[in-house]
Formats: sequence, structure tokens, C-alpha cells
Amino acid sequence: MSDAIHIERLHYRAGKNFAIKELDLHVPSGSIYGFLGPNGSGKTTTIRLILGLLRPLTGRITVLGLPMPEQYARILGQVGYVPEQPHLDPTLTVRELIDFQAAFYPRWDRARADELVQRFELDGEHLFGRLSKGQKAKLMILLALSQCGDLLVLDEPTDGLDPVVRRDILGALITYVSERGATIFISSHLVHELERVCDWVAVMDDGRLITEAPMERLKQGTKRLVVMGAPAEIVNPPFRVLTRESTNGGGAGENWVVGDWEPGMTSYFEGVGASVREVIDLDLEDGFVELLRSFRKGGTRR
Amino acid sequence: MIAMFRAVLYSQWKWSRLIVVLGTVAAFAIPLLSLQGAARADRGALQAQELLRAVQSWGTLYPLLATALGLLMAIAAWAADHRGRHIHALTLPIERWRYVLLRFGAGFVLLAAPIAAVLIGSSLAVLTATLPPGLQAYPIALAVRFAFAVFVAYALFFAVSAGTARTAGIILGVIAAVILVHVVASIANIDLNLFGAAQTVLLLGPGPLAVFTGRWMLVDV
Repeated sequence: MSDAIHIERLHYRAGKNFAIKELDLHVPSGSIYGFLGPNGSGKTTTIRLILGLLRPLTGRITVLGLPMPEQYARILGQVGYVPEQPHLDPTLTVRELIDFQAAFYPRWDRARADELVQRFELDGEHLFGRLSKGQKAKLMILLALSQCGDLLVLDEPTDGLDPVVRRDILGALITYVSERGATIFISSHLVHELERVCDWVAVMDDGRLITEAPMERLKQGTKRLVVMGAPAEIVNPPFRVLTRESTNGGGAGENWVVGDWEPGMTSYFEGVGASVREVIDLDLEDGFVELLRSFRKGGTRR
Repeated sequence: MIAMFRAVLYSQWKWSRLIVVLGTVAAFAIPLLSLQGAARADRGALQAQELLRAVQSWGTLYPLLATALGLLMAIAAWAADHRGRHIHALTLPIERWRYVLLRFGAGFVLLAAPIAAVLIGSSLAVLTATLPPGLQAYPIALAVRFAFAVFVAYALFFAVSAGTARTAGIILGVIAAVILVHVVASIANIDLNLFGAAQTVLLLGPGPLAVFTGRWMLVDV
């Protein structure tokens, strides 16, 4: 499977305090790729680099097989983008904004735009500046979907929206992907939301990619273990140790959070004179938090 | 590209229609007012000197109107993009220089209305006036000059308005530095007139800004 977005050794610096460092990212074509990270981790900056709004210091970005930013005009013709903050002119009406956008995109689907106006219950004569937050978000999604792009880049599109609007928007996205086989790159810090829709996920913090994996592998492979009698140092475990701390009751018991876990790996502990008393499934949010904790303690990265 | 231009033109019309309408009314009225009374039956033909004085004094309004139109249209052209931090424009599938040209062209097309109003107003004013012998009317030359002045003002302010806050800061910084040098020079009793020198270089010397200076005469010898 080719990559809709391919980033190699990207480096970017914004001011003295923030930098994207050595970023490698591979977004498979046709995937719904969740881009997770806390606020200020570099998600929006990465998206702006992907869209050619910023220029990297070093590294290579390829979007839909074309180099960015060299071919930005061609690439942007195939990319629908929904920014974190609505950026459209508040003095234009919904209909005027749709007409404006339609003029710039050769593949503009007027029928889809009309259908989404109905589905999202938008009034074409309303000024953009007078729309509610949810209506603005719906219009942004409408504009992105009607471009008929092969890639949608969505920067926290449902942040701060009520559950009904979120469901409408996610529903429209899933319908679009199923009809067109497009790729969706969606950034968010709403972990549960991404867990429902994404098949790939990446986690970013402090300008670095902590992990990038298929959703199922990340969810299935991240476990909390209750380990008894583990030695202080362990050598070459077949899994990643994210965090390791004593249980509340003290004694020889420890709580471990591990990544890349597979059934049968308990035998490793027997080999080092320890035992696993319990293997606990973690949901994506728990896994995400543990990954961040591990990373911030100077832990592993892959 | 035509569809894109129409879309940009429509949005720009919506942002600046008040400026265009008021500017067009003013551009139409100034030449008519400048020749008012020239054909009044009770006074006969105005004395040539009196008429030239009136035309000259009304003529100062043309460069002022051209500058005001250029400034306001340039601000209107970029205001929405500035508000949206240019994200929308930068994510459109078009080369950035083309987008700037579309915005520039749309603004200039809208400015055609006040330019045409100067031509129509001047022509009407001349047709309805009785000019003293020896004087000639120059409605087309006046309209062409007004068009050039509008173009220069719009282009200049468009370029400045398109800039970032940093650009504006640099421009303000230069002005502040000139003022500071003036203040220091006056304290030190040094005869230095940077503003006069700048005016000489920018407005009086050969160059596009010279269009704003001199007499703007609808009627002349």
C-alpha cells in the first residue's frame, strides 16, 4: 500500500522553544489516520507543514506522491482541509462561501454540497460570522468533502462540539471514505473519538513522534501487567516497557505497562525468574496516557 | 481562471461596495461642481481667470480622492485574509502569486467605476458649460491621469497592506527613525529637513508618485 503522506526526517523550528524533530510519518492510502497528542505537542504545526503553509528546515514531505512544498498548488487541489479555527470570511453567506470554493476546485461536487447543506440543515443565506460553532464546523466539513479530494486533513474538527454535531460530522466523513476510498488524516486530543473511527494512529508529544501503528496493534499490544519478583534489570524483552512501578501494597509486586505485547510473552518472565499474575487490557486513552508518561520520563520511542 | 476571478471579484465587491459607490459619486460630482456657474445665463461666460482658479482649486480633490480610493480598496482587498491569518488563501489550490494577482485585478476592476465616473462627469460638465474663448477642456486627459493616480495609489497600498505585521513594523520603524533624527537634528541646531527631501525625491522627482503633484485641470489654456 502506498502512502498518502510520507514524511522523512523532518525538522522544523518555530521560535526558541518549539521544534519538530526528526519526524518520520507514513499515512497509508485509504486509511483513517488518527494523529494524537496533547495541546502544544506539534500536531497543528505538522499539519501546516504537510499542507505547505510552513517550510521545513530539513527533511522531505511527499503528499499523494508529489513533493511538498514544491508542488503545493497541485497537491492542494486534491486535499480537503479543515483547520482548527474556522478561517473563512464572516461577512460572506454560506451560499457565497460554497460558490467561492467551487470556483477553485475543478473536481467540485455541487450535488454533494447541496446534499450536505440539506443534511446539515444549513441556511444558505446565513452569514458565516453568525453561524453557531457547530454550524461553522459542519460548513467546513461540507467544503472539504465537496472538493472530492483524495486526502482530507482535519485539524481537531470536532473539538468543543456537542455530541450530536460530532456524530453528524463523523458520519459524513465515514460515508465519504466508504464512497471514495479517500485517506483521512485527523488530529485530535479526543482519544475516544479517534478510537471509534481510525484504523491507524500516531502519537506525538513535544515535537516528536512517540509511536505510529495500526489501531488494533496499538490497542491489543498495550497492556498493564502485574508482575511478581521481577529483577531490577531486564535484558532484551520482546515487548516495550513503557512504565514500571511498585504496586500500592509494596512487596515484590510491580505494575508494568508494556507495548507490542503478544499472548505467550509471559514465558519471558518465567525465564528471568518472575511471574505475571495478571494481564489487563487498556483502552486507547489509557495506552495514550501511558505512552506519554513513558516518553516524558525519557522512555522508548518507535 | 475566469471562474476564480469572478469569485474573487464578487467577494471583493461585497467587502468594498460602499467605498466604490461613494467614490463613484464623488468622482462624478467633482468635475460637475468644478465648472458650476460656468454656463450661468445671468453672468454670461465666466472670466477665464476666475474659471481657471475655480477649476484648479477643485482639482486638488482628484489626487486626494485617488489616494483615498487606493488606500481603502487595498485595505478591503486583504482585510478578510488578514482576519483569517491567510490560512484560507494559502490552502487554495492556486499558486500564491496568481492569488495575489486575482485580488489585485479584482480591486482594480472595481476602481474602474470611479474612473469612469470622472470621465463621464467631466464630459457632462464640459458639454453643459460655456467656456471663455481661449480655454480648452481636457476630460479624457483628466480621466486618464486620475486612472493612473488611482492605479499607483492602489498598487502601493496593496503591497503594503499585503504585508505582515512585521512589514508594517518596519515601515513604522523607518518613519519613527526619521522623526527621531529630525528631533535630534533640531536640538543640535543642524539644518536637516528629511521630510522635505523625501517629498522632493518621491513626489517631485521623475517617478510614478509625481502623478499626484501639479495642477489637475479639467479646463486649461
